[in-house]
Amino acid sequence: MTNQTLLNDKPIMGVIVEKWEECFETYGFKIELPVKVQNAKPGQFIMLWVPGEDEYPIGIAGLKDSILEVGIAKMGPGTEAMHKKEVGDLVGIRGIYGKPFTPPEDVNHLLIGGGFGMTPLKLLTETLMSNENKQNIHVFEGARSKDRLMYLEWLRDLHDRGKIIFHACTDDGSYGYQGFPTVDLEMFLQETETPSVIYAAGPEKMMKAIFDLGKKFANVVDMQMSLADRYMRCGFGACSSCAVDPTGWRICVDGPIFNTEKLEKISDFGVYKRLETGEKKRI
Amino acid sequence: MVMSLATKIGNITIRNPMILASGVLGTTYSTLNRMYEAGLGAVITKSIGAKSRSGNPNPSVFALNEIRSVINSVGLANPGYQIFREDIEILMKNSTPTIVSIFGENKEEFKEVLEGLKDLPVLAFELNFSCPNTEMGGAQIGTDPDLVYKIVKELRAKTKTPLWVKLTPNVSDVIEIASAAVKGGCDTLVAINTLKAMVIDIHTKQPILGYKKGGLSGAAIKPVGIRYVYDLYEHFGDKIPLIGVGGIFRGEDIIEYLLAGASAVEIGTSLGVAYPENMVRFFQMKIKKYMKEHQFGSISEITGGVHR
Repeated sequence: MTNQTLLNDKPIMGVIVEKWEECFETYGFKIELPVKVQNAKPGQFIMLWVPGEDEYPIGIAGLKDSILEVGIAKMGPGTEAMHKKEVGDLVGIRGIYGKPFTPPEDVNHLLIGGGFGMTPLKLLTETLMSNENKQNIHVFEGARSKDRLMYLEWLRDLHDRGKIIFHACTDDGSYGYQGFPTVDLEMFLQETETPSVIYAAGPEKMMKAIFDLGKKFANVVDMQMSLADRYMRCGFGACSSCAVDPTGWRICVDGPIFNTEKLEKISDFGVYKRLETGEKKRI
Repeated sequence: MVMSLATKIGNITIRNPMILASGVLGTTYSTLNRMYEAGLGAVITKSIGAKSRSGNPNPSVFALNEIRSVINSVGLANPGYQIFREDIEILMKNSTPTIVSIFGENKEEFKEVLEGLKDLPVLAFELNFSCPNTEMGGAQIGTDPDLVYKIVKELRAKTKTPLWVKLTPNVSDVIEIASAAVKGGCDTLVAINTLKAMVIDIHTKQPILGYKKGGLSGAAIKPVGIRYVYDLYEHFGDKIPLIGVGGIFRGEDIIEYLLAGASAVEIGTSLGVAYPENMVRFFQMKIKKYMKEHQFGSISEITGGVHR
């Protein structure tokens, strides 16, 4: 093992050392990199190259001691190609890219997500739990059905051990309460007197709904949301495929995590995304 | 001594010689506005064609850290001029000095795009005859002097807006192509676009780029760009303004291009970073420092200095 850190460079090839079915149409992977890497911070991402197939941004679920963990939900041909990869196969990694979540002290940490958005929230949960002072961590997760809840066992176990409070819900009521995660979030915000910070990741429409909800509560002191669900080419700020209007911020380097103050300035947030051609399309 | 960073490129004047190169930070009006506000003299849009194009599959852009360069095979992804027109209109409203880069698969498409945008008060149109990342148009046109002459001549007849021709370095005789462009009536020559390049992953034994082949930009190509600008100035003298582009990472690189014969420079790769505003500030500081030390009052005094 050479002693270097990850630079903004061509893909560095890592070998898949573990693969598991995380939930419906979603696989978890552990990938060993041939270099010593700096630990990733929650909210940061990598560009994953599936050789000969595709390359796309993926949230980091964990990156420590040269082992990278990602969770890949089926989103199209590129992610399906990754699902076909097995232990021993090589994939390319570029990164680490992007600005992370920046959790303050002495607040309720309210993590809310769905689908692929749960991967950065997993790392955020772990980071918050590793804080010397015990943190109030609430994880709100929603999915269509029980078999689509990511990290269900892990989160339930943490809940049972009193490390976090896990609020789960499904559209069909097959696990947790029936409905959207915003229902429990709203109830919690109505009751709590402690200042709270909301961290969200997932489909942008869902985050916009959370953002609009959070703004109604004075005890929500900040919201930090990941806008990583965008088309990207370079990942390091050159191509501007992921830029948002009217600020000209690039999701890959000026984000993907934006706080309340910045989200207010992004008129595209929850409204428009950009296609591969650069054309804007309603979300 | 009065010192001005303003520079004249033919009959247009911009506040300093630093122009955002096409293809970097040029997908939307908002990044272009941002880069002008960062202190550049002008900005160039991503190349715009007649039709919407998705470009090539990913990976299509990545850095080569060792040589401070970037390889790309984006392949002219763009929404088409009819849609991009809205972005240009916002730039015009904001008074952002904008050059629109245009391309076509053939003469007819070049004409269509120009016709569709020529009423807008843009600073210039830059004709992209030199993109190496598609099977058609672009670089193929740029290697055929006859075609270059014909297209420039036809477009010239349709607009009074300055026409810049961006040259490909991937030819054996750039003077021949440049002469054809000048004869056709272009106002400014821009050199160079990316160099044909490729990167192979030796572990999987596969080209990394989705398109397999790409174009190289960044520090590695700067000496090539300097040579082309030098050769063009040697041939044309001050008969036609030149813009130098390729691998500018420091203020010193800008001075080098000016000395070789450029009236302005285009900067791309080094601005594709987390804090492009800082880069612009460093460039500007360095140019001022150099001008002060060498007692230059204007950019035009530096232009072509190495030939005197």
